Amino acid sequence: MSTAPEAVVEIADAAFGYGGAPVLTGVGFTVLPGEAVALIGPNGAGKSTLLAGILGLAEHDARTFRVPEGRGEIGVLPQSSEIDPAFPVTLEQVVAMGRTPRLGLRWPGRSDRRIVADAIEAVGLTPQRRTRFGDLSGGQRQRGLLARALASEPRLLLLDEPFNGLDQGSRDALLETIRTLKSRGVALLITTHDLDLARAVCDRTLLVNQQQIAFDDTDCVLTLERVEAAFASHVIEIDGHTLTTTAHHESEHSAHHRLLQDDDAERDRAQHR
Amino acid sequence: MTAPLALVLDPFTPFAVPFLLRPLLLLLALAVAAGTVGMLVHLRRLEFSADGLTHAVFPGLAIGAALGGAAGLLPGALGAALVAAVVLALLSRRGQPRDTAVAIVLTTFFSVGIVLVSLSEGAGSVSDFFFGRLLTITWADLWVGVALVAVGVGLVVATARPQLFAAFDPAGARRAGLPVLGLETLGTVAVALVVVAASASVGTLLALAVVIVPAAAARALTRSLRAAAVVAVAFGAVTGWLGLWAVVQLAEAGVDAAPGATVALAMIAGYLVALAAGALRGRVRGRAAVAA
Repeated sequence: MSTAPEAVVEIADAAFGYGGAPVLTGVGFTVLPGEAVALIGPNGAGKSTLLAGILGLAEHDARTFRVPEGRGEIGVLPQSSEIDPAFPVTLEQVVAMGRTPRLGLRWPGRSDRRIVADAIEAVGLTPQRRTRFGDLSGGQRQRGLLARALASEPRLLLLDEPFNGLDQGSRDALLETIRTLKSRGVALLITTHDLDLARAVCDRTLLVNQQQIAFDDTDCVLTLERVEAAFASHVIEIDGHTLTTTAHHESEHSAHHRLLQDDDAERDRAQHR
Repeated sequence: MTAPLALVLDPFTPFAVPFLLRPLLLLLALAVAAGTVGMLVHLRRLEFSADGLTHAVFPGLAIGAALGGAAGLLPGALGAALVAAVVLALLSRRGQPRDTAVAIVLTTFFSVGIVLVSLSEGAGSVSDFFFGRLLTITWADLWVGVALVAVGVGLVVATARPQLFAAFDPAGARRAGLPVLGLETLGTVAVALVVVAASASVGTLLALAVVIVPAAAARALTRSLRAAAVVAVAFGAVTGWLGLWAVVQLAEAGVDAAPGATVALAMIAGYLVALAAGALRGRVRGRAAVAA
């Protein structure tokens, strides 16, 4: 690793959880600047807990734990957000919210407005910038929230199931945005159930199921044996060629939202204890 | 406008006398709070909490009046607001749903207030605390009230951007590293300051009306946030002035209407007009959208 650029994320021998028994153990991986790492595992594998751990919203116990710590240095695109569609803000105002971690109580200046405009441009929503956020389509809202994450100029971007529920146009736009971000040196950690998309943009893949199963180049990780090991309980459903099945895929998608909320509830309980 | 002719003839002269000018100035200051602190309450859907806080202030007013007369109102209200805020925070921390917590605080403090008022003779009547003594506030009352409002408004304006983020998407704001709990606490403090400033002089009911009604009316009329804030301030100012003006007209007609309640009714009337106008606009826009 001595010749490689300094990693944005460097984690070794780590366990993540919410105060009780750890949810995910034996984690060790790095994410380099300009690199996208896929985070793959079945429902309940601890993917969201790992993301929460990186954000400091879940507990970790690790030999090495280095993640960006400055305000606004980590951007997040959650899988879903509970946002009131009637809330009176435009897309531009939502994206500008992404600047607040950097600004603190300072008022935004010209450079901040340019960064916001660039972020909107990067997700291809410039024509909709003055549209009320609640009036955008689901895919556009998701891209708008990505722009909000970009507005804080993150060194690390966490994308949680970013391709879920997107139409083909939004998927292509998102893939293109991810490639652009990589070329600008942003590090990305992307949870996804879509192994083809992982292959398309992710250089390396972290496979987990309550413990780390593999971390290596995407093509080496996404082999039948390893995916079988990760999705052990669903092995029968896995098609030898595509490694995903529709039945399993569907249940994953519907259950995932609840998983994130469970994480939130779990953390709240932990804080109140 | 509701009372066009007389209003056009004589909208300002009644307020040349100090006992009408002081309440008008206070209502104008509260209108500014309505467009800022009230807007935050509306966006964070804290109406019920504001209600709880307002009613919690009520026994504080009663205790203050019993101990120190009119001069005791403000310290009493401030103390009660502090206690209520702490109790509210503790109750919701212990896992009570927020509405349950508010309902418990509301009932407790309210009952204590009624008992105190019925026990202490001469300190003031229930209706005094509900509807205030709008026309009898002194310059000192006014300046203290304006100062409290200014601090409350200042807190909200200074933190407006993170407050907006936290109101729009609390989970997202927390993930982005914003101190959401701190922002919420600060917002609640701002609401408490405005409620205290209002209730010591205009009564608890009008305090609640000021915090909630103009922002709700503005939301019915506008689509953008900036417009809503401006409209809420204008709404608070115009209905406050109309209410006071109605008090004067009624007094000249020989009717002794409770000033605080009259101003509150003016706000409610304005809100109904705003709702109707908003619905009408929505229908026109809907039709235009269908046509297009």
